[in-house]
Amino acid sequence: MGVESQRVEDYKLAKEPYYVPLHNEIELFEAAYESKLPVMLKGPTGCGKTRFVEHMSWRLERTLVTVACHEDLTASDLVGKYTLRGDETVWQDGPLTTAVKAAGIAYLDEVVEARKDTTVVIHPLTDDRRVLPLEKKGEIVQAPDEFQLVISYNPGYQSVLKDLKHSTKQRFVAIEFDYPTPEIEETILRSESGIDEDTAAKLVKIAEKVRNLRTHGLEEGVSTRLLVYAGQLITDGVEPIPACEATICKPITDDVEMQRSIIEIIATQF
Amino acid sequence: MTFGPAVGNVGMYVAREMLQAVPEDQRQSYLRMVEEVSELKYQLGVEVARQLPRLLAEHDPELVARYLEQVRDVADVGWKSGVEVAKQLPDLYGAPDESLADAYVQIVADATHGPSEDTETDELAGELETLERELREMEPKVKRAQELRTQLAARDRRDEKRRKHAVELASALPPILARLRPRYRPPYLTQVRQIASADPEASLEAADTLLDLLNGDRVSPEGAAEWVNRGLDVLDRNKEVGRGYFRLGSKYALEVLDELKEGLALKSVARVLKLYATALAGREVVIRSAADVDMAEAQNLDNIVLPAEMRYFDEDEKNFLAYKVAAAQGAGRIEFGTYSLSLDRISDTVSELQSQYGQAA
Repeated sequence: MGVESQRVEDYKLAKEPYYVPLHNEIELFEAAYESKLPVMLKGPTGCGKTRFVEHMSWRLERTLVTVACHEDLTASDLVGKYTLRGDETVWQDGPLTTAVKAAGIAYLDEVVEARKDTTVVIHPLTDDRRVLPLEKKGEIVQAPDEFQLVISYNPGYQSVLKDLKHSTKQRFVAIEFDYPTPEIEETILRSESGIDEDTAAKLVKIAEKVRNLRTHGLEEGVSTRLLVYAGQLITDGVEPIPACEATICKPITDDVEMQRSIIEIIATQF
Repeated sequence: MTFGPAVGNVGMYVAREMLQAVPEDQRQSYLRMVEEVSELKYQLGVEVARQLPRLLAEHDPELVARYLEQVRDVADVGWKSGVEVAKQLPDLYGAPDESLADAYVQIVADATHGPSEDTETDELAGELETLERELREMEPKVKRAQELRTQLAARDRRDEKRRKHAVELASALPPILARLRPRYRPPYLTQVRQIASADPEASLEAADTLLDLLNGDRVSPEGAAEWVNRGLDVLDRNKEVGRGYFRLGSKYALEVLDELKEGLALKSVARVLKLYATALAGREVVIRSAADVDMAEAQNLDNIVLPAEMRYFDEDEKNFLAYKVAAAQGAGRIEFGTYSLSLDRISDTVSELQSQYGQAA
């Protein structure tokens, strides 16, 4: 089976990614884009931040370059570096530079996870200069008007040791996400997993109850993404209780008693 | 050729060549003579066996008798001298001066024996023999004394250990009693006393275990008593195994406990129920055991009071379901404020009724 590939800067979403607006986030994002302001998406895991960015890149017809940040990600990994190719040393643009040059949307997912030097690199892109310095190459790339920088940030994860500095936070327009309302979440589940109305309502009810445990031992509640997984397994023929156990209960906690209480909540619905 | 039973072990001293050198008609008497001398000392027999064939070859029985007698005389005072005399004497018999052999034997015997007036050696030997006899007689008593010493030392160590564990028990009991629910204290003390008199170390283990069993409602006081009785039987057979039983470290102890258990203890599922009810109610609830709360506390709006033990069903799973239903009911009451009485609302209702029906209402 052949696999098609294309250059990152040429990649554009051909089909509209499914997205149901929760509030006024689309209008806010579009306004920020028009004003050339960088955007920070805040919210718990799996609430739809990435899907929202995909949707906006389709809506604005911009290339989307997503970087999943991790603790080993350096500024060089983002902007680019010299690499050996055969007998030559050639410059290789990093994903951020690629996005800037392609006038696309650069989405740095969980940016706080990356090394501190990466946040310094993005600063000149986030103010009125809108430039990306390539220090090793001795160049400065001016970002086109269409370029948009988006970062995501999960406040629930952060600790004293790992948090965005205020000097970074205060450069972004923040759009806050939370879990969708029950009605919207049911709509999302039915659309994304193909489950019936009753099962969707039950899954959402389970999520609502489990999310009540967030301050009682659970770090995060059940994400909409996990509910979609549960719905997909149920659609594929897995019994609801084992499907929910595998997607809702086991991934979010290793605490045996917490798991049991979640299973009891699931069993109450199904 | 066989020599018969009289020959005994003489074959050990007599080589085939020696026997062949003895005239055939004298071989039986040769072997007997060698054997008799050998009884004095093995080495003496070996030497006599070497020398006798040449004397027997001369067919002079008197010479042979004289040889054997002189060898015996010297050997009586010292067997090593006897061996040397047995070796040298046949050559001296052949000397022209016949008195030479006798003089030689006399000198060697005297030299070996020492001065005749020395009686001290005999006295010392006699005394030693008496002492050795007495020592031999004492030997079983010494052995028994050693056994008793060992047994007493072991008892000392055991008693010391017992006293040490008694002190530890003395220190451990008051805080345990403070934690134990008052109604369990009398039966608890009876059970710990029983075990402590049998083995303080085991009672230390049991003191903690019984606290958990009773406070945790894992067994009733009667069940605990039965569990202790079974443990005492184990302790009686083997102290170490018994101690393991009382710390719930043996399979048997757990089996007995399982047998005596009368239901599902709230303590074992309280956290699961708390999380479950908190999730349902949408705010933190507190699961309380009916055994631990008084009526005033039970009225607290965030409390869900459940029985300390659920024993409606034989299976724990069903008993848990019963708990779950009760917890869900409690969560519903908390979530929807069933008992959250507001005096303001009553006042409003009274005003409303008064305006509707007049002051008389």
